[in-house]
Formats: sequence, structure tokens, C-alpha cells
Amino acid sequence: MGLADSGMLQKPVAKPLTWLLNYSRKYSLWMFQWGLACCAIEMGAALASPRYDMMRIGVIPFPASPRQADLIVISGTVTDKMAPAIRRLYEQMPDPKYVISMGSCANCGGPYWDSYSVTKGIDQVLPVDVYVPGCPPRPEALIQAVVMLQEQIQNEGIGNDDMRKRWNGEPINVV
Amino acid sequence: MSSTEQPVTPTNASPDFNPVPDFEVAPGMQRHLADARVNVELDTGDMIINLGPQHPATHGTLRLVVRLDGERVIAADPVIGYMHRGYEKLTEFRTYPQVTTLINRIDWLSSFANEVPFVHAAEQLMEIEAPPRAQYIRTALTELSRIATFLLFLGEMGLQVGALTPAFYGFRDREHVLNLIESATGGRFHPNFNRIGGLKDDLPWGWIAETRNVMKIVLDACDVFEDLVLGNEIFQARTRSVGIIPGELGASYGVSGSNLRASGVDWDLRRDGAPYLSYPELDFEVFTHPDGDSYARYWVRLQETRESARMVLQLLDKMPSGPIMAKVARIIKVPAGESWVETENPLGQMGYYVVSKGGTGPFRVKIRSASFSNVSILPWMLRGVYVPDVVTILASLYFILGDIDR
Amino acid sequence: MSDLEVLTTRVTEALGDCVIEHAEACGNLVLRVRLDSWRSVAETARNTLGCNYLSFISGIDWMPAPTVGLIEGDTSTPAQPKEMTFGAAGSAGRFQVFAHVQSTVQHIGFTIKADVDEAAPHCDSWVSVYPGADWHERECWEMYGVVFDGHPSLRHLYLPAEFEGHPLRKDFPLLAREVKPWPGLTDVEPMPGSESDEETKDEAVEA
Repeated sequence: MGLADSGMLQKPVAKPLTWLLNYSRKYSLWMFQWGLACCAIEMGAALASPRYDMMRIGVIPFPASPRQADLIVISGTVTDKMAPAIRRLYEQMPDPKYVISMGSCANCGGPYWDSYSVTKGIDQVLPVDVYVPGCPPRPEALIQAVVMLQEQIQNEGIGNDDMRKRWNGEPINVV
Repeated sequence: MSSTEQPVTPTNASPDFNPVPDFEVAPGMQRHLADARVNVELDTGDMIINLGPQHPATHGTLRLVVRLDGERVIAADPVIGYMHRGYEKLTEFRTYPQVTTLINRIDWLSSFANEVPFVHAAEQLMEIEAPPRAQYIRTALTELSRIATFLLFLGEMGLQVGALTPAFYGFRDREHVLNLIESATGGRFHPNFNRIGGLKDDLPWGWIAETRNVMKIVLDACDVFEDLVLGNEIFQARTRSVGIIPGELGASYGVSGSNLRASGVDWDLRRDGAPYLSYPELDFEVFTHPDGDSYARYWVRLQETRESARMVLQLLDKMPSGPIMAKVARIIKVPAGESWVETENPLGQMGYYVVSKGGTGPFRVKIRSASFSNVSILPWMLRGVYVPDVVTILASLYFILGDIDR
Repeated sequence: MSDLEVLTTRVTEALGDCVIEHAEACGNLVLRVRLDSWRSVAETARNTLGCNYLSFISGIDWMPAPTVGLIEGDTSTPAQPKEMTFGAAGSAGRFQVFAHVQSTVQHIGFTIKADVDEAAPHCDSWVSVYPGADWHERECWEMYGVVFDGHPSLRHLYLPAEFEGHPLRKDFPLLAREVKPWPGLTDVEPMPGSESDEETKDEAVEA
């Protein structure tokens, strides 16, 4: 189904078309709010507070289920008990999907790096696109992360294999 | 039907009884009417479903395994531990200043208030006291964090019951208070501002005037919430008589804070416990409500927000001048002993039992967190409750997962 | 007599010979009671002394942590004394359970400790006296391995079901610290543009 699977995107696609497709994708990200801990409050402040409104850059926060989301922000500490649930929710999202790891607990275990029950970083479980450092990162930092992700989406190629790989869930290198 | 006949009830109606009165019904609608007959006994079984651990209504990673009969809960079992980070073990491997950094994150909405009992316990063991100005500033920041977390509660309980507007108001007004905390301490939350012996820094110039303005905004916001949420008849219909906790039972479960005061138990550690910070010098009122339902819990927290704003104004009027740090060594070594300090945190009674053996770090810290006990009453409370009321009850108990799971 | 002395007299009279030792710790009363009287102490506290509020039940492991201060290069973990010493009201061995009860009406509270056996720690359950003890005892079992007799269902509370070991025991190692110890306080990070910073930059470029 679609251009990517049917193989019609193998040939180099015109730049304006690539540009247009990526432009429309990057400004209509639907973000699944996976709020775990303190970073979730900053994420909530970034989304729901009128001061750091995230909807103005195109990110809409409340999809009804993960099956309708294309961006997930892991905000907060990931414990070993919770990691399988996160993996399952990630797999329920359709491709192309993006992951932002917010906060130092999700990046690398953070202040609980030596705990017996904390997963040292969500990148042990999911592939991450953007890491946001901070404990907790300010809402502006999260908005910066989304802007960086949007630049990354804009630079994804269609003519080469990038689009097919991304839409099949394989990792790609984007400059 | 004449009045001498027996009224038709679900148990004695015949299968042909049609409760819908005779009127013109389109042929296509007839089969819908047939399903409206009463007394259709269906053979039903119980259903076990999971609420969580990822769910918009459970405030974090709480999993409720409920056994339902239709829409009623027969039994509920909260499964916690999805945010268990092993605090008590970690504190054994940290020095005292590192522990204060860590314990900020237990109750992550009112972070300043988490540090206060631990620092107080360490100061008791060292037999030093923070200077009066530091105590006043600590009290002011504790009350500001109480206002910040209650504003979020006032907004977000409206959201759980179905109203979107209070959530935005709550976040917006909270930003003002977070601004204040950030200008004094450097961090919106997790300020890590307490030091054993005092505070890290003095207040910036102009903070006191700005705080007075913000307290006016907070008092206005409380009036708005009272009108918008408490006066709304849908909110009242959804929260009155929902989730009643009897006072004595709540106390034996360990429920504390606003939850217990909403059940009529007049107990507030700021007034009744061992004196700490500057509360003995303040004049404040403690609110209780006799009902013990979700409406009462919302009402009590609203009044407490107002009272906290008035307390902050009193503190600013009485603020003494002086140093903000007692004389302590650079490397803190706390002498051997045990100390128990409990405080009235926004979520309830929080306490630290610090066991020290004379090193630079504690030997054992038992963290008594309020939400742990508040949530332990859920299996008792959720029996026979409808599913939408489960959401209301969870919202009104106001727990923070970091506080439950530590 | 101060409040604390009044309380001490009242409590020791009510509990009688259940109390082995009592002490004062920073203004709080700490009692050590006999293990076989653990539940009756709770009943006395609830019924006679009016302590209707259960604050917590937990455990203490008095053994000094074996790995602290012994890892090569780990300068950040605080050093603790190597001998086993006990705290307020003493202890007979390695493990103790302790609890704190309070009264919301009389505004009193005290801590109760009891020594449990080291090899097979077990203790009476307080669930029949304070229903809130349910979760506290589950946590204490999970963290220390103390079995509470009479508890309805002693199962894992915080940890996943397949977790092995009892984490809060002092001989349970934190593996992350053993694999790579924290480098400790770095007081001498080179300023950007300084000599040692230039050296590391050249090395990175050559590599």
C-alpha cells in the first residue's frame, strides 16, 4: 500500500515534491504524550500552558491512541517494570515514527544511574531521534528539540532509500 | 393500569411487556424499541480490565486491575512500582548534599517541600539551627510550592471530571508562582535550594514586591475556581457522595493531609506536630469538612490554597533580616544518632527517619511518603463504585507517583 | 516534667514488660519491644494510648555495607564505619522492624522497634489492628525478606514478580556502581582554551 511499499519511490523524486511532502509532514506531527515523571509536568507546561504553547509549531498533543500518533516523547524515568509497556506502545505506532527522549532519566538513567530498578536510558529499548538534556529540561528546550526534529524531517530524502527505510521502521542517517 | 394493580418492576414483568407508551413509530425504529424492554435476564460474567499503567486518568504510571460487573467495580487492586527508583537504597550511597538533590524528585510538583524535613532532620542531629531569615524564606518557599501544586490540582481535577477550562487556568496561574520560585532559586521545580544549615542564597532584589502581586493573582484565581468549578452543578453531581472515606478508617490506613481533613479529622502538622520552620509564628486557619467525599477534598484544598497565599503575605510582612546560613563545615559530617521529622507537605504527612553513623552520608533513610498510604485505601474504597467515579476518586485523592513509588 | 517525659511514663506503664529498652532520639520516643509482643503492642497503642494513625512500618539492616569504600577509584561514595553499631534503643542483631504510630487527637507519637531473627526473619502482622499495615508489610518483605505471619497476601509491591533478592539488605550490591564507579568530585576540569584542553583536543583529532 502506498508509494513506498509499491517500490515507486526508488527513482529519484523531484526536489519540490520531496520538499513539499516533508514540509507537510513536519508541521503536522501528532504527539503521543507518554508522561512518566517530573519531565511530564514540563511537557504538560509546554503543551497546555499558554506560555509555551507547542501547537503553534504544528505539534498537536492529544491523539486518541498510539495508533494515530507519529511522535512520542518519553519524559521521565524508565523503570525495568515499565519498559515492556513502553516497547509495546512504541510498536503500536505506525511508521514513520519519531522518538524524543526528554530529560536525563530517559537519556541515560540520570540521577538514578545506580539504581536496581531503573533502565539506564530509553535508547536501550527504543531508537531515539533527539535527546533533550536537563533535569527537567525547560519547556523551551523541548520546543527546541521538536524544531530540531522538524529540520531532520525536512532533510529526509525521498529519491534515495531514506523514505522507504524510514517508512519501514529501519534507522537512517540524516545529515 | 389502575392504581390497585401492582406496579410493573423488572422482576415481575412478563417478557412481552413493552414499557414504551403507544405512539407512532416508524417501521425502521421498531426493532430498536424492542431492545428497550426491561427484564431481559442476561447471563453475564465478570470482566477484569487494566486501567493503566499508561492512561490519561491515572496521573502517571499507576495500574489498577479492576474486576467489573458491568459498570460496577467488584474488586480493585492497585499495582504500583512502575516508577520505583530505589530511593532508600540510593540514599545509602550518597552524601548528605547529594541526598537533598535526589529527594527533590519524590513529590515532583512541590519539590521544595520534600527537602525540608530531611534537612531539618540532619540539622537536629547536628544540633544546629538555621538562622531566622532562612527559616522564614524556607516557609515562604514551602507555601509557594504548596500553592503551585494545589493550583495544578484545582485545574486538573476539573479536567478529570470533564471540564477543560480549569486545566488551562490552573497551568496559567501556576506559571506565575513558578516564576517566583525560579527567580529565587534558579529552577522552576527541583530547586535544590536547601542546604544543611540554611539556604544557598538570599532573595533577589524586588522578589518581595513581586510576590505580593502574585499572591493577589492567586487569591483571584481561587475565587475563579470556586465559582467555575465548585459552583458548577455537573461537578457537584459527579463529586458529591463519591468516594467517602470515614475519618477513623482513613487514619488507621495512614491517609493524611487534605484527604483526612476532608473527612472531618482536625489534624494539621503545621499546627499540631513538633514545631518546625516558622509556623509557630504565623496565624492561620485549618479547614475541615464533615463529608469526606470528593467534593470535600476539592473544597478543602481550595481553602488551603487561599490560606497559603495569606500565610505568604504574613511571612513577607514579618521577614527578619540577617544571615541565611549557619556556620557549618564545608564537608558535612552528621554525628551518630536517629532523627524523625514529619511535616505537612501538600500531599499529606511526609517524614524522614534518618539513621546516621557519623559519616558523610546517611546510614539509612526511611522515607515516609504521603501518597503511599493515601493510595493504599483504594482497594477498600473502590468496591461497588461505578467506573467513571473511579476516575473522580483517583483525581480527588491527588497522589503523585513519585511519592507512592519513591 | 516535659511532654516527652510524660509520654515516656505513660507508654512504658501501658506496655509494661513488653519493653526491653527505651531511648530518646532528637525529641522522639523510641522503644524496643519483644518480638513476640509485637502485635499486642500495636493493640495497646491503638486501644489504650489512643494512637489511631499508622505512619509507617519498615525495617533496618544494621550490617555495614561491605562494598562501600572498597571499590578502586570510587571516591564519591561516602565512607561508613566498618563495625556493626546500633542506634537508639539498641538492637540484638542485624535486622529490626520498626514502626511509628501517632494519635491525631492527642498529638503524640512514638517509634517501636523489634529485633527479628537474621537467618529466617519473621514477625507478626499488624493488619488486624491497623488495616493500612497491609502495604507497608508487603514492602518490608520485599525489601528485607521479613515474613509477616498473618498477612493476607505477601507478594511483591514495587518490584517485578521475577525480581530476585531483597534490595535494601546491605549485602545487595548496586551493580552499576561495581561495573563503573562514579569518578567522584572533579575539581580540576580544564577550562576551554587552556593547555590541558588543547592536548585532549589534539589527541581526539589524531585518533
